[in-house]
Amino acid sequence: MDEARFEIPIGPQHPALKEFEYFKFTVEGEKVVDVEPKIGYNHRGIEKAMEDRTYIQDLYLVERICGICSDAHTTCYCQAIEELMEIEIPPRAKYIRTIMAELERIHSHLLWLGLVGHEIGFDTLFMYVWRDRETVMDLLELISGNRVHYATNTIGGVRRDIPPEMTDEIKEGLGKLEERTRFYKELCLEERTVAQRAVGVGVLKPEDAIRLCAVGPTLRASGIARDVRKDDPYAAYGEIPFNVVTYDGCDVASRILVRCDEVIESVHIINYCLDNMPKGPLRAKGMGRAVKPGEVVSRVEAPRGELIHYAKSNGTNKPERYKVRSPTLGNIPALCKMLLEGYIADIPIVIAGIDPCFGCMDRVSFVDVKSGRNWVWSHEQLRRYSLEWYRT
Amino acid sequence: MDSEGRREEEIIKALSAHLGEGRVIEASVSRERRVFITISPEDLQGALRFLSEEQGFRHLSTITGVDAEDGIEVIYHLNDGKIALSLRVTVPKANPILPTIVDIIPGAVLYEREVHDLFGVVFEGHPNLSPLILPDGWPEGVWPLRKEWDIKRIRRKLKGGKDG
Repeated sequence: MDEARFEIPIGPQHPALKEFEYFKFTVEGEKVVDVEPKIGYNHRGIEKAMEDRTYIQDLYLVERICGICSDAHTTCYCQAIEELMEIEIPPRAKYIRTIMAELERIHSHLLWLGLVGHEIGFDTLFMYVWRDRETVMDLLELISGNRVHYATNTIGGVRRDIPPEMTDEIKEGLGKLEERTRFYKELCLEERTVAQRAVGVGVLKPEDAIRLCAVGPTLRASGIARDVRKDDPYAAYGEIPFNVVTYDGCDVASRILVRCDEVIESVHIINYCLDNMPKGPLRAKGMGRAVKPGEVVSRVEAPRGELIHYAKSNGTNKPERYKVRSPTLGNIPALCKMLLEGYIADIPIVIAGIDPCFGCMDRVSFVDVKSGRNWVWSHEQLRRYSLEWYRT
Repeated sequence: MDSEGRREEEIIKALSAHLGEGRVIEASVSRERRVFITISPEDLQGALRFLSEEQGFRHLSTITGVDAEDGIEVIYHLNDGKIALSLRVTVPKANPILPTIVDIIPGAVLYEREVHDLFGVVFEGHPNLSPLILPDGWPEGVWPLRKEWDIKRIRRKLKGGKDG
């Protein structure tokens, strides 16, 4: 190994968040020259567990894959099983699924925006955004009774209605969310702190984004207009006018702008759904329980990007095989590319930039390979290091 | 097939023509934007190169492994922006070897490692097949998503029992 090079292992634990990851960085001075990810610290064997449970039990298990995009997973799951069962869900259920999906996107994107503020040492932004995010959490609770696992989707439709009496309250909340998001977008465009830490940082060129199979806002911030809602419509997306947001800065700043604009698009989608909500039942009538042998591929646009499930049934009440690929995994190769040639100080914000299912890292140990000396930094220390580094 | 299925059908025809007569083992359009094609492992790289370079299927959503009794099915979920094309090959369980596709689709790098971890499929030419998902110290030869490793047997093995 080159004498000037150091290896820096980062991760895997973080006690506060749901996914753990580990990266081994090789650095030359302040520059990252190699990145090697190791995932799986939170691998719970859910795919195996699903083969051992019935389709109804699996619905509840799938909901718990993620505590942020739980609705995306159940939507993807229900679609898969409904296709295997040849069930068409009622139009009203499609609209309710769409509304829940977009509320979830708003809460996820705002959560992320707050974390971005935190990572770049702009904690005021973090606190304001998270305060405002409570508005959407309240709406989710109003509809589903829950803040995290809404348990709204079920095979054949939805379990909860959005009656006309709720419309005013939802619209009022959405109005507030739109106004605040527009404010934060302006702020991010004008505030020097954000520009300094985000513009030109964590670059992912369009060609690399495609080659490395990036997904979601990460891909769209590299100028590629791909969105499962538009390209492979599900729920009610085929009937709703909306824009696929792209920016071509290919950096963290563009990832911020894409998500801000997507929140505003989500507000419009929900308003449209509320105004055009079809009447009728919430769940398909007269459906049996049998799931015929077959296989399906189900996709949704989760807040973080393309979520894909593959299901294979064997005629019993349990799946033969169920496969889940979450968007974070899809973005790891692209993330490694973004980190290359970047600075140590940018590691936290670039990792946060893809909105991984972990917001930050807990333990950072730096190893001097040559002398064998090593020292450990917590995530907080790495964050402070990065803030200090930018101050000078 | 109705008009909606046209592009889906064309892809099957184009791939059949490219690989030569009889090389596509099975192909179906299950619905709009969903295509399933089965080929044999020796055609894998040629098919992927053709689909990604000439048919626009540059996005690989993931790779799924499926235990099919004597063999392991490996399914490459490709996408051209609209159509989800699942390209399937089957390798024997006793000798599960496939060529890597990271030279064709670099985004496959982690998906191949995942299938290697969970099913023991070896992707020849892959730059690094070290464990990605399984923990350090996972016993060798335990491929947790293979059917012969049911949950109880895995638990026994992890507790240090003799092969469950």
